[in-house]
Amino acid sequence: MMNNNMNSPEQISTNKLEYDVLVIGGGIAGQEASLNLANNGFKVLMVEKDLSIGGKMIHLSKVFPTLDCSACIATPKISETARNPNITIMTYSEVEDIKRNGNGLKAMVIEKPRYVKADLCTGCPICEEKCPVVVEDEYNYGLTGRKAAFIPFDLASPRIAAIDIENCTLCGACERACPPNAIDFSMEKKEFELSVKSVIIATGFELFPAEKKKEYGFGQFKNVIHSMQMDRLLAPTRPFNNVLRPSDGRMPDNIAYVLCTGSRDLSVGNPICSQICCMYSIKQAQLLLGALPMTDVTIYYIDIRAFGKGFDEFYEQGKSMGVEFIKGKIAKIEEKENGNLTLKYEDFENGGKTVEADHDLVVLSVGILPNKDVSGFFKSEPIALDIHQYVKQEDELMSPAKTSIEGVFVAGTSSGPMDIPDSILSAGAASAEAAAFIRSLK
Amino acid sequence: MKEKIGVYICHCGGNISDYVDVEKVRDVVEKEEGVVLSKTTMFACADSAQKEIVNDIKENNLDAIVVASCSPKLHLSTFRNVAERAGLNPYNYVQANIREQCSWAHTDKPKEATEKAIRIVRACVGRVRYSEALEPFTIPAANIALIIGAGVAGMRSAISLADMGTHVYLIEKSHFIGGRVAQMGELFSTDEKGEEIISDLYDEIKKRDKIQLFTGAEVVSVSGSVGDYKAQINIRPRYIVPDCDMNKLKEAIAECKTEIPDEFNFGLTQKKVIYKAYENCRPEIPAIEKDRFNPDQKFLEKYKDCIDLEQKTETLNVNTGTVILSTGFDPYEPEDGEYGYKKAENVITLQQLKRLIELSNGKLEYNNREIKNIVYVYCVGSRQKEGENKYCSRYCCTAAIHAALLCRKKFDSVRGFHLYRDIRTYGKHELLFDEVSRQGDIFFRFNEDESPVVETANGKLQVKFRDILTNNEEVAIEPDLVVLVTGMIPRKDSSTVAGILKTPVGSDKFFNEVHPKLRPVETVIDGMYICGTCQGPKNITESITSSLSAAAKSNSLINKGEIELEPTIIRIDPEACEWCDKCAEICPFDSITKTEYSPDGQKGKTIALVNESTCKGCGMCAPVCPTDAIDIIGYTNNEIESMIDGLIKEV
Amino acid sequence: MEQEKDFVPKILVFSTDKISDPGIDLAGQQHIHYSPSVYFIIVPCSAGVKPRWILRAFNKGFDGVFVAADGTDCPFSADCSEKTGKLVAYSQELMKKEGVNPARLKMAAVCSVCALPFSNHMKNFSKALSGLGNIQSEKYIDPEEKEKQK
Repeated sequence: MMNNNMNSPEQISTNKLEYDVLVIGGGIAGQEASLNLANNGFKVLMVEKDLSIGGKMIHLSKVFPTLDCSACIATPKISETARNPNITIMTYSEVEDIKRNGNGLKAMVIEKPRYVKADLCTGCPICEEKCPVVVEDEYNYGLTGRKAAFIPFDLASPRIAAIDIENCTLCGACERACPPNAIDFSMEKKEFELSVKSVIIATGFELFPAEKKKEYGFGQFKNVIHSMQMDRLLAPTRPFNNVLRPSDGRMPDNIAYVLCTGSRDLSVGNPICSQICCMYSIKQAQLLLGALPMTDVTIYYIDIRAFGKGFDEFYEQGKSMGVEFIKGKIAKIEEKENGNLTLKYEDFENGGKTVEADHDLVVLSVGILPNKDVSGFFKSEPIALDIHQYVKQEDELMSPAKTSIEGVFVAGTSSGPMDIPDSILSAGAASAEAAAFIRSLK
Repeated sequence: MKEKIGVYICHCGGNISDYVDVEKVRDVVEKEEGVVLSKTTMFACADSAQKEIVNDIKENNLDAIVVASCSPKLHLSTFRNVAERAGLNPYNYVQANIREQCSWAHTDKPKEATEKAIRIVRACVGRVRYSEALEPFTIPAANIALIIGAGVAGMRSAISLADMGTHVYLIEKSHFIGGRVAQMGELFSTDEKGEEIISDLYDEIKKRDKIQLFTGAEVVSVSGSVGDYKAQINIRPRYIVPDCDMNKLKEAIAECKTEIPDEFNFGLTQKKVIYKAYENCRPEIPAIEKDRFNPDQKFLEKYKDCIDLEQKTETLNVNTGTVILSTGFDPYEPEDGEYGYKKAENVITLQQLKRLIELSNGKLEYNNREIKNIVYVYCVGSRQKEGENKYCSRYCCTAAIHAALLCRKKFDSVRGFHLYRDIRTYGKHELLFDEVSRQGDIFFRFNEDESPVVETANGKLQVKFRDILTNNEEVAIEPDLVVLVTGMIPRKDSSTVAGILKTPVGSDKFFNEVHPKLRPVETVIDGMYICGTCQGPKNITESITSSLSAAAKSNSLINKGEIELEPTIIRIDPEACEWCDKCAEICPFDSITKTEYSPDGQKGKTIALVNESTCKGCGMCAPVCPTDAIDIIGYTNNEIESMIDGLIKEV
Repeated sequence: MEQEKDFVPKILVFSTDKISDPGIDLAGQQHIHYSPSVYFIIVPCSAGVKPRWILRAFNKGFDGVFVAADGTDCPFSADCSEKTGKLVAYSQELMKKEGVNPARLKMAAVCSVCALPFSNHMKNFSKALSGLGNIQSEKYIDPEEKEKQK
C-alpha cells in the first residue's frame, strides 16, 4: 500500500536527512501522530524497526468494545500514512544516539538490509514459493511457519519481500525466480545522519513473556497458549480456519482465561495493571462463543477492569452471553495425560480455599511491559524513565506527552499501559505538543 | 469525450503475464474506440516505464490514459502523478486492476483470466472516455477555534491551539474558570493541587494574545459550516463595576449579610451572594448572584462605585473555523435515601469529602464529630443494575483510594473500609491501591444484587453488607462517616448545548465521537470536536490528552486558512431536479439544502443545492432521486454504464 | 427452466473503494479462486449504487448483480447497511416489473479483510444463479437486442 514514488527510503539518496519531526515507531500511535503533523504541513520521518508498519493492532482479531474488525480499521490508516506526501517511511530501520544539536536534535538512523530491492519488488509471492527454508512465523506468534524469503504478512506495508538472512541457506532459489530481479544479497546496512526539530517516541510495548510465569507451564504444556496467539487464531487473517488446540488439532470445548498473567504480580517484577487484558479477554471470550457455540469459556480474574467508554456494558454483554467469571487467583497449572489442564486456584468467593478445575485449553492473558529499546535511542543524553521503565511523563497531568528532554514527546504505550483509543488520543496530544514546540523555535 | 487514449498493460514480471496473455489483451484493446496507443510493459511502475508514459502523453497529445496492472490501492496515485507530470489532468487516468482481481484470483484458469482482463481493460477504456478533468477545490477557513468550557480540558486545548497559531475564543458559563478540577484539592497521582493548576493555566492563557477568554458566557446559537461557523454568545454580567476599588468591594462583601449554599463546596458551607468561587479563584473579581440579592437602597448607594445591578447581558457574535466542546461533567448526586444519603447523618459524596479535606485543618470533622473511621461505598451512580447509568465512571476507584490515602496522611489515624464491586485502579494507579492496603485500609467486596445498607440505628450510623471474600458473611460497621463514591454524569446543561450544536449524544447521554478509534475527538459534524469528560468519564491526564488531541485535529484542519477538498462530490442537474427533499433526507452530512433556480430570469423552480464544503461524495443521495438528477462526480451514469457495457461485451 | 451445459453465470459486483474492494483484493493476494466471470465496479459507498445501473447490467446480459456492502465499517454513515438494503429492495421491485427474478440481485457486507467470506459468497451466488439459468431465458431482454433479433 505504499506509494513507492513518494516516500520509499530508496528515494533518499544522500546520507544526510532533514525533517521536522522524527516519529519512532509505525504502530497505530506513530501513524496517528505522523498524520496529524503531516496534515499540519510538517515533514515527518517515520522510522519502524520492523519490516512493515502497522504495529500490534494490524494482527488483532476484533477490537473491544465495538467489535470492529481490527485490520479493517488499521489498514485504511496504514495506507493513508503510506500515501501522505509529507510522511517518509523507513522500515526495518533503527534509531541511535539522539542528541541535542543547537535548537534541534540529531540522530543516526540505520537501515538494515532486507536483501530485496524495495523499488523493484512487486510483492508477488514467487520467492516465498521457491524458498526451501521454513522457520517459525513471528507474525503468527509461532503458530505457523514461514519461509526465509518472505512477505512479512498479507496486509504488510510496504508489501514487499525480505530475506531472513539468519535462516537463509543462500541457495539462490529466490534470486533465480524473482521476476524483476529484486533480490540482492550484496545489500548492506545504510547509515543516515538525521536532523530534526522534534522527536515523538511511539515504540509501543512488549508482551509479557508467558514462559516467565513458570507455574502456568507455557512452552511446556502444549495447550497453554497466550492471548496474542488466540487473537491470531480468531483474526480474519488467521492461520487456520478455526480455533484449534495445539496438542491434537481438536476444537476445544472448555477454555480457561487466566487474567493478570504477568501483571499485578510482584513475583515477576511487574506490580502494575496492564489495563487491556480484562477487556481483550472478554472480547476473545465473546468471539469464541460465536466461533465455537458449544464451548464453555471461563475467565479467572481478580478484578474486572472494564473502565472505558462502553466497556462495562461490554462486560455485562459477555456475562449475558454465558461467559463464566470466577474471582480466583490461579496458583498452578498442571497437564494431564490427554493434554487437558488442571487449574489450581484460590477461590475468593468461597472463603479463599484452593479449588481445582479442568479445562482443555488455557489462554494466558499476558500483560504488557515497557519497550526496552527506548533508552538505546538516547545514549548521549539519557531520557528519564519511570520506576517501571516506561518513558517518564514529566508533567503527567497538564502535559502528558512531555518527556525529560526538550522537544522529545511520547505517544501511546511507550509511557505506560493503554488501550487503542487511549493510544490514539495520546498520539494526538504528542503531535499537538510537537507542533507547538516547533513553532516556538521560529 | 476523450479520443486520444493511451493504454498500458503490465506484465508485472509474470504476476500478470503468467496467467493473462497480455499481448492478446493489447491486440483486442487496441481496436477500442478512442485508443490511439497501446503497449505492454514489464513493470509499469518502474521508473523507466513511468518516463515512457510521460513522453507518450506529450508526444501523442494523449487526453486520457489507462494502466492495467495491480490494484488502484497500490498505484492509483503513482499513475495520477505520472499523468500530472505530463500535463494531463490526474482524473483523466483510470487504473484497471488485472492482478489482484484477475490474474491472481484465477491462476487456475489462464484462458478465462485473459478474457476477463480484456473485458476489464475495455471497461476502463470506456470509463476513461467519459472522464472529466477535475481540480481539487478549496474553501476558506478561519484559523479560529471556539472552545466551550474553560475547565482544564478547554484551557489546555486553548493554550495548545494558540501555540500552534490558532486564534481562540474560550468561553466559560460560570463567572470563574477551572471547572471541577478547581474543587478537587490534591490530585492523583502527582498530589498537585487543583486550584494551583487552574491558576497556572490562567496565567498561561493571559500570556497569550491569541486567546480571548469570556466568563459568564454561554453559546446560544451556532450556524454555518466547517471553516465558517457563526456563533452567538451571551455574556452575563457580574454586576461588579469594572476596575473598581477592590478594598471597597471587600467592605461591601463584609457588610452584605445574605448567604446562600456554596455550590463550590457542594453545600457543605454557605457563601455570600457577592462571592468568589474560592479565595484564589480566577478571574479574581467577585460576582453577584443577582436573583438572590435584595440589598436596600442605602447599600447600593454606598457601593455604587463597585456594584451595578443595571448591567445587562451582552451579546457577542464570533466567526470561527472550528468548535471544540469541553463542557465537562457533573458529579452524580445520589437520590434521597440512596445508601442513606440525606436520610442518615454523616453520609456524604466523594466530592464532598474532597472539599471537606480541603476545609479541614489538622482534624477531619463533619457535623462537629471527629472522623476516625470512614466507610467508602463504591459504584454509587455507576454500573447501575436498575438505574440508567450502566457505565463505569472510570476515575472514582482511584480517586476514592487517593482520598483515603490523603486522609491517612493529613489526619492522624483515619481508617478506611472500602466496600467495592471491582477495584479499577488500572495501569500505574495500581500502586495507590497497594499502598492504601499496606497502610491498613480494609477492602470488602459486595455483590451487585445485594447492596450495602446505610442507616442510623439507635442514633448510630451503621453500614451492613455481605462480604463475598469471607464466605458471604454479614458484616456491620459503625463508621463516623460514610462516603458514597459517586461517579460522573453528563452536565445538566449538556443537552441544551447538544441542541444548539446538533452534536449527537450516546446512550450514556455523554457526547459521542464518530468512532472511538478512527476519529475519537471528532463529531459527525465537520469541524466540531469533543474532549474531556463531556465525552465520557476520564481522569485528568486522559482529559488533557483528549483536549490536546482535539487541538491537533482542529489545527491541522484550519491552520492553512483554507480547507482542501476532493473534487469527487455530487452534482445536481438543475434541469432534471424537481425538489422533493429525498436527497436531503438521506444525506448523512446534512449537505443538501434547497435553492431557487432561474436560469434565464424566468420564474424559477426549487432545486437541491449541495454544500460543497461538507459533501463527502458518498453518493447515498444518488439512488433515491426519483428524477435521476444526481451524479457522483467520477462515477457518472456515463462512466459506470460504459463500464457495464465494456465488461459484458463478448470478446 | 432449461439449463445450459457448462453455464457459468456472469456476475457484476459493486464493491466499495475503502471497504469491500480491499477485501476482494486480499482474496487475490491470497490466490483464493472464484469464478472468472465475476467482474467489479468500484463505487464510493454501497448505498450509492443506482438501481438503473443494476437494471442496465441485467439488460446487457449479466446473470447476477452482487452488492458488496460496506456494512458497519462504512466510513460515511452508521446506517449504510439499511440504506443499501433499501436500494436493493427497490431495485428488486423494478426487476420484478421487468420480469427479472429478484434473486439475481444480492447484497452482503464484505469487510476490508473479508477475503474468504467473499469467495464463499461468490461460490454460493454462482450456484444459485446456475439454478436460475441464463438471463436470456427470462422475459426481460434488451429492447435493442429484441429489435435486432426481429
